[in-house]
Amino acid sequence: MAVNEDALAYHHPLYDLMLNVPGLAVGLAPVDRLLTWGLKNSLWVFPMATSCCGIEYMAASASRVDIDRMGTIPRASPRQADVMLVAGTITVKMAPRVKRLWDQMPEPKWCIAMGSCAISGDFYRNLYSVVPGIDTFLPVDVYVPGCPPNPEAVMHGLLRLQEKVEAARAGHPVNAEPPPELFGAISPSLPRLTDQNRPPELSEEQVQASLTVVPEGDPGEVPVDLTPPSIPGALPDGVSTELAPLLKDRFGVAEIPADAPPLVPAERHVELAATLKALGYRQLVFVAASHHPAKKDGEAEAFEVAYALRTVGAGSKVASWRVRVPATESVPTLTPTFAGADWQEREQFDLVGVRFSGHPDLRRVMLPENWEGHPLRRDYPADHAAAPWR
Amino acid sequence: MTLFAWLSSILVAVIVLTVTAFGLWWERKLAGRMQSRLGPTIVGPIGLFQPIADLLKLVQKEPIIPQRADRALFWLAPPLTTLFALLVAALVPFGPKLAPANIDVGVPLIIALGGLALIPVWMAGWASHNKYALLGAMRAVAQSVSYGVPLVLTALVPVILAGSMNLNSIVAWQHRHHWLVVWPVFLGLPAFILFILAMLAEANRIPFDIPEAESELVAGVSTEYTGMHFGFIYLAEYVHTLVGSAVASTLFLGGWDGPFGPSVLWMVLKTCLLFSVLYWLRWSLVRLRADQLMALAWKWLVPAGLALVLLAAVWTQTPWGR
Repeated sequence: MAVNEDALAYHHPLYDLMLNVPGLAVGLAPVDRLLTWGLKNSLWVFPMATSCCGIEYMAASASRVDIDRMGTIPRASPRQADVMLVAGTITVKMAPRVKRLWDQMPEPKWCIAMGSCAISGDFYRNLYSVVPGIDTFLPVDVYVPGCPPNPEAVMHGLLRLQEKVEAARAGHPVNAEPPPELFGAISPSLPRLTDQNRPPELSEEQVQASLTVVPEGDPGEVPVDLTPPSIPGALPDGVSTELAPLLKDRFGVAEIPADAPPLVPAERHVELAATLKALGYRQLVFVAASHHPAKKDGEAEAFEVAYALRTVGAGSKVASWRVRVPATESVPTLTPTFAGADWQEREQFDLVGVRFSGHPDLRRVMLPENWEGHPLRRDYPADHAAAPWR
Repeated sequence: MTLFAWLSSILVAVIVLTVTAFGLWWERKLAGRMQSRLGPTIVGPIGLFQPIADLLKLVQKEPIIPQRADRALFWLAPPLTTLFALLVAALVPFGPKLAPANIDVGVPLIIALGGLALIPVWMAGWASHNKYALLGAMRAVAQSVSYGVPLVLTALVPVILAGSMNLNSIVAWQHRHHWLVVWPVFLGLPAFILFILAMLAEANRIPFDIPEAESELVAGVSTEYTGMHFGFIYLAEYVHTLVGSAVASTLFLGGWDGPFGPSVLWMVLKTCLLFSVLYWLRWSLVRLRADQLMALAWKWLVPAGLALVLLAAVWTQTPWGR
């Protein structure tokens, strides 16, 4: 929908007076300069901080950089802020809230997009749930590139905004700032800080080597150990060995595979959870679902839901199992047995589309209510153009 | 009113508003130094013009009234907060002759005006039609009602000792004897500390700032206010603290009494010093929880205040306190 921004823009009665009474604008020019000076030297920030950029913004408010030097303080209420500083990834669900907060700010107001996620979505930009740049729904005045930008860059962004405010009030044409170019992703060739082999100080050769880009598709020799860690007294998947007889005798589990949780009949798994709870497995660790599309050999479309429980306290033991149902059927809910299953099952319903029979409140929990489809299904289009935030 | 009374009223109002405006700057500098920052430095010499820039910015902002707000109350509340906070300043003597309203019931009137300052806060919270503003206003009312009791009790200690409710007479008594925090120290010092605590709570400052706890209530009562209306609420908070410091200096620190020089200077000096100490507290302490706040008021401050009043009454009957 096209909106006439000029028609919506607020004009202070003082400006209208100056512009409409002939001669007054000339006489009040010094006053106007004074007002501009006040406007640009008191930019109160509404920190719309959603991720790591927010931490850098906080550092910009702290010592060393201290944006309070130029009169910038944070305000918690959008009503009292002049600048909305969007610091972090904005998801599709968050975007309408950001827009609403922006609309609640009084004119004159400005927007700073801080960090590559706010600017373009960065490497999340093709993700189903991420807004590829806040300038798709907010008028951005200044872009502060970086991932995250350092505090000095935040201060530089505010100084550029001051210049822009002054130029706009002086009547100079202020062009819309072009968003910075996107750079190709560069894989880090320096060992990470957490790497055991990383020396305390990097040599000159290592730094130089890090500047040469490793071409994509050639990750080199990276030994990856995929074998799960062995837990004493447990099968490789973490199921305590003491459970094997229980599963075989009472729950009709034919075999316990070495590389996956055992498959339990769907109609018996609530009973299994209750039995395990009585045995001391009192904490629900996770509920994870996966989607298996129909195969050419005639295997029907199905869902698998894996549950994991653990004992609480020292020497904790884990018990996990899987349930497999055809896509047309539902899995009995664990919520009456473990209250913690409520939201986790809602999440699996939201993202994968598994239905849980008997669930008290099976609604979407992460995605917006009006979302179509379930993005973690195998058949969900990867280039799904969901744009409800506009 | 005589011309002299008019002039002294204007002088006091100008002093209070100037000191408050630069109190904003002073607080930001102080907070900056306490957090090993610099505070405002760029706007004017050592950032001195920062409050002026803020003021000029605030008058240019768009005034927004929420659609379902009570328009009249919404407009009226912020100027009233500043007005009531300023009214108290009229009663504070800045010199033996420089008291704009030198009346005999000064102490009760100050307490009453302090309580009256609550009404615009409640008005603002109610009129905003915003849950955060309403919750903030409710907390402010509950807090001020609770802390009004120890405030009255501790203000009674100098009244009993000096035998007068006239603020100027109380200062004159301290001029003749000792400053109240110096002697009788076992009455003056605890009463002074209790008074400061209760006054901080009345002014909604940390550690008693639950009415505008940012982490829970966005900005409390001022959540919906934009531009200069917010500016009035902001200013009122500082005027309240400043005037509270002035009252505390008058009652306990000897007011305008000083060893040499003009009396106004001593009064302003003591007030500013106390004002800075309050900011020191503000940037050092954390916020109390609502229940801790009430427990502190009713379980500790009220009994302690009652005990101090009784002690003061007994002390005046002893040979030393007569």
